[in-house]
Amino acid sequence: MSVRVGRLAIPTGTLLVLLYLLFPVVVVVLISFSSARFLSFPPPGYSIQWYAKLLSDPDWLNSLAITLQVGALTTVFSTLLGVPAAFALSRYGIPGRSFVTALILASLITPTIIKGLSLYLFYVPLGLVNTIWGLAAAHTVSGLPYVVINTIASLRSADRDLERAAVIHGASPLWAVVRITLPIIAPGIMVGAVFAFIQSVHELLVALFVLGGVEKPLAVKLWAGVRSEVDPTIAAVSTGLIGMAVLAYACAGVAQLLSKRRGLPAAGP
Amino acid sequence: MTVPVADPAPARMSLNRALVPALLLGPTLLWIFFFFLWPLGLMVWQSFIVKDAFSLDHYASLFTTPIYARALWTTFEISIICTVGSLILGYPVAYYLVVGDARIRAVVMILVIIPYWLDYIVRSFSWLILFGRRGLVNRFLIDIGLITEPLQLLYNLGSVLVGMIQIMLPLMILTLFGAMLRINRQLVAAAEIHGASPWRAFWSVFFPLSLPGVYAAFLLVFIISLGFYITPALLGSPKETMISQIIMLVATELFDWPLASAAGVLLLAVTIAVVIAYNRAFSIERLWGGKEA
Repeated sequence: MSVRVGRLAIPTGTLLVLLYLLFPVVVVVLISFSSARFLSFPPPGYSIQWYAKLLSDPDWLNSLAITLQVGALTTVFSTLLGVPAAFALSRYGIPGRSFVTALILASLITPTIIKGLSLYLFYVPLGLVNTIWGLAAAHTVSGLPYVVINTIASLRSADRDLERAAVIHGASPLWAVVRITLPIIAPGIMVGAVFAFIQSVHELLVALFVLGGVEKPLAVKLWAGVRSEVDPTIAAVSTGLIGMAVLAYACAGVAQLLSKRRGLPAAGP
Repeated sequence: MTVPVADPAPARMSLNRALVPALLLGPTLLWIFFFFLWPLGLMVWQSFIVKDAFSLDHYASLFTTPIYARALWTTFEISIICTVGSLILGYPVAYYLVVGDARIRAVVMILVIIPYWLDYIVRSFSWLILFGRRGLVNRFLIDIGLITEPLQLLYNLGSVLVGMIQIMLPLMILTLFGAMLRINRQLVAAAEIHGASPWRAFWSVFFPLSLPGVYAAFLLVFIISLGFYITPALLGSPKETMISQIIMLVATELFDWPLASAAGVLLLAVTIAVVIAYNRAFSIERLWGGKEA
């Protein structure tokens, strides 16, 4: 008897938790298509008026452009810095290796308000407050761990003999890495890069401190909106962000699928 | 007579062995130094300065001003409840992901990961709609005749926890799942063969083996909960003010940067203390191992 109850309890519990996890997402998406001017759920009817309103609002479009710029710079910086670092950590006997790794990963568990406040104190005298570069430099610190973890994981399971074979056949070691190893681990790098991009798009607190003035990224403008406006435009922006995340992760998913064929794991936020 | 000539090749090799990793790692470390460590140092420095002299005044006012001291306690309290709550709700799901039917398992995994991808703002915001005075929950309760006046479901500890646990659950589940995958389930089968009931086999074999994963997930979720800002700011009342909100308030509305820095240092110190305590008891490597889903 108790066995049967137990067997039913676990799937039922799982189902309830899944409903709890997904309900808010469904609510936001449905409300963004609401025909009503207020946030009622379920919506009385459906329309795309809030998307039309968004796309004709230069303020929101400007915020989108800023977010994309910061995200793109963050992704490029994180990848250019993180991939070589991952090579160094997985292939060379670095003194204090676990300390260096901890240093790179430390940003993941540092409360964002602390990053925001301390960067603001640092940026004010340097004139980096309210600059896209300043925010991208800060987001890179948080994007690096994802690139490094995923690249190390890919490197660990990539077959190094292929690279050695190239060197034996006369390729320089650097050329062998560029032509042989990088293409093999590219899906893993891409997964890390997507995570770096998405964390930059979503990040609010550092953005509030560093880029909260005239040129607001999407997260900052959304935050201001959530606290004041009460029409479904906010839900439409949220749904847009969900769409952006799903699209980016679909790319990462394809990359992961490619790498899974080679048996590589992936680590994400 | 032959003079032994040092072969130049090994020397060059060993120079390369030192130079190459330094060149590969150097830019990253410089970046982290300039955009992470140096600013943190600056914040610590600021927190000890009063009128150009060293002082602990900011820390004293943190602990003696009731609203700051209260926020410290509230932060601790909310983080603990949130972590325990997500552990209780997350453990069965992670367990199901390990032992459940293979096809359903894949779907469950995807449904756990999807909310993990989304913004904190988006996820906190929907509860405003559901729990509002004219929201779904209140209308439902009125329709079935349980209440006549809408209940105040928002802006209290309950709504903050509902929002925070929803946000932390995927991380909790994935971390537990990663650890549970490493458990040798033949041990559970062995216990059952030797006559243990499934219930008994679970509690005396599987559960103890899953404890390291539980500790890792607990630590991770607790540390991240300590720094929550968006959810309590949106779904809480002044009574649920957490330390991050205090830091934001003191910095951007009172413009008292040294006091905000002191609060920041305190939050940072608590975070580091928790990590060190964990590292003493277990190994921190396990934490990152657990994060690789």
